[in-house]
Amino acid sequence: MDITIGKIILMFLVAFFAYMHSYFGSNMWNRPIVVGPLVGLVLGDLDSGLKLGATLELVFMGAFPVGASNPPDFVSGTIIATAYVIMSGKSIASAVLLAVPIATLVLLIDNLQMTFLLTYASHKADKYALEGDIKGVERTQVIFGILNKLILAAIVAIGFAAGVPVIETVLSYVPKFVTHGLDIAAGIIPAIGFAMLAKMMLTKKMIPYLLAGFLLAAYLEVTVVGVALFGIVAVLLVINSKENSAVKEVALDDNEF
Amino acid sequence: MTTNSKITRKDFWSVFFRSLTLDSSWNYERMQNLSFAYTMAPIIRRLYSNKEDKALALQRHLEFMSITPHISTLLFGITSAMEEENSKNKEFDSSSISAVKSSLMGPIAGVGDSFFWGTLKVIATGIAISLSREGNMFGPIAFLLIINIPHFILRYICLDRGLKFGAKFFGDLGSSGLIQTITESASVLGLMVIGAMTASNVNFELTMKVGGGKIAESLQTYIDQIMLGFFPAVFFLIIYWLLGKKVKTTTLLLGVIVFSILVALTGLA
Repeated sequence: MDITIGKIILMFLVAFFAYMHSYFGSNMWNRPIVVGPLVGLVLGDLDSGLKLGATLELVFMGAFPVGASNPPDFVSGTIIATAYVIMSGKSIASAVLLAVPIATLVLLIDNLQMTFLLTYASHKADKYALEGDIKGVERTQVIFGILNKLILAAIVAIGFAAGVPVIETVLSYVPKFVTHGLDIAAGIIPAIGFAMLAKMMLTKKMIPYLLAGFLLAAYLEVTVVGVALFGIVAVLLVINSKENSAVKEVALDDNEF
Repeated sequence: MTTNSKITRKDFWSVFFRSLTLDSSWNYERMQNLSFAYTMAPIIRRLYSNKEDKALALQRHLEFMSITPHISTLLFGITSAMEEENSKNKEFDSSSISAVKSSLMGPIAGVGDSFFWGTLKVIATGIAISLSREGNMFGPIAFLLIINIPHFILRYICLDRGLKFGAKFFGDLGSSGLIQTITESASVLGLMVIGAMTASNVNFELTMKVGGGKIAESLQTYIDQIMLGFFPAVFFLIIYWLLGKKVKTTTLLLGVIVFSILVALTGLA
């Protein structure tokens, strides 16, 4: 498949759409599971787009923004890697091989934006604020809020146009055991994401729930939806036992009088 | 909104829609401050007529801000209610607005992050991945609906309640232990799903065979007899332990890749 001007523009639009998710409520339409199929649609291979989106979603499972930490830029990684795999007909392993370094590289560029461009915008807004100029502050947010997404989308489009042919040649020299190794890595990498998510919530008291979910899936092959439903039962039990202990505490208080 | 509030229905929706942009101009210095001020702008315009008051209010809301975007409207509601109080009441100490903002963003972000990232997104991903892998285009659609139906309902409720109750809201919540119950419930549900997804989505199999000829069996058969999901559990535990040692995720990622290539080289898997 050749790279045409039309395709470059379409990639730009997909990227811009994805980055603009933070302008529409951080609704997560920038995730690989959504962006992969969009790239597939643009390149006329929805099926591969869906499958690559699913794989890359797992690879980037641990990529979520909490507080001051910014995850790798999985939008660029997903778009370029998915496009490459669909256009070259290569294996899914090469998508993983590409997506991770691209995402890391683009995060560096985005970090520059967030350090200089957007900090500059915030200082500009300070000046308008001093004068009580509400319109000035609003204008700054709208302009810079959209501008930084346009810049990122342009980087993705350029990366797509310039990168894919280069990637093609570079990858042809990669030995077979490396691609097989990456296939294996794609199976293990999601564990990083799950461990990061667990880290956010896990306390000693919570270990049984993590184990219960794991064992239900490993031994009884209960689906994720099934486990989530069992989870609701567990939540109700927790709430019940809390209410009971609350009642007891009140009763104890009464005894003291 | 109380009936004698100056804040109109139009302002309510204006804040609602502007709050959607909270993460769009994120910067390292004060994070979501620019969009926070942008979202408060309709309220400031409604409540204050002279330039000095407008300037002070804008400056207040250009301060540091870091909160889960999806339920940020709770803070927008509370802050708007406090701004209104400030505009009416000469005795009101405007510095309490900044104080309330900085004391509430931590708890709101704590609940929001574990609910949206730890629970809702994980469930949505689990369902969507199984659909997408079969080439079913409802995968991404289900993903977006599972996250965004609760998201937009909560976004609306939070703004509504925040405005109605103002700063009193969190006082009530804190004493009833509701926040703790919500966080704990989200954690229970989230952890169960994370456990299940670790078992079903982390893959590693030893393909090397032991024994010869007809009785050759792959090593994995023996491992499975010890414990199903042995390798997913082991990888999860090692990585969890390393995360506790403050090992960076990029280092972990590289480590996994190097390990996998070595395994491929030895022919174990």
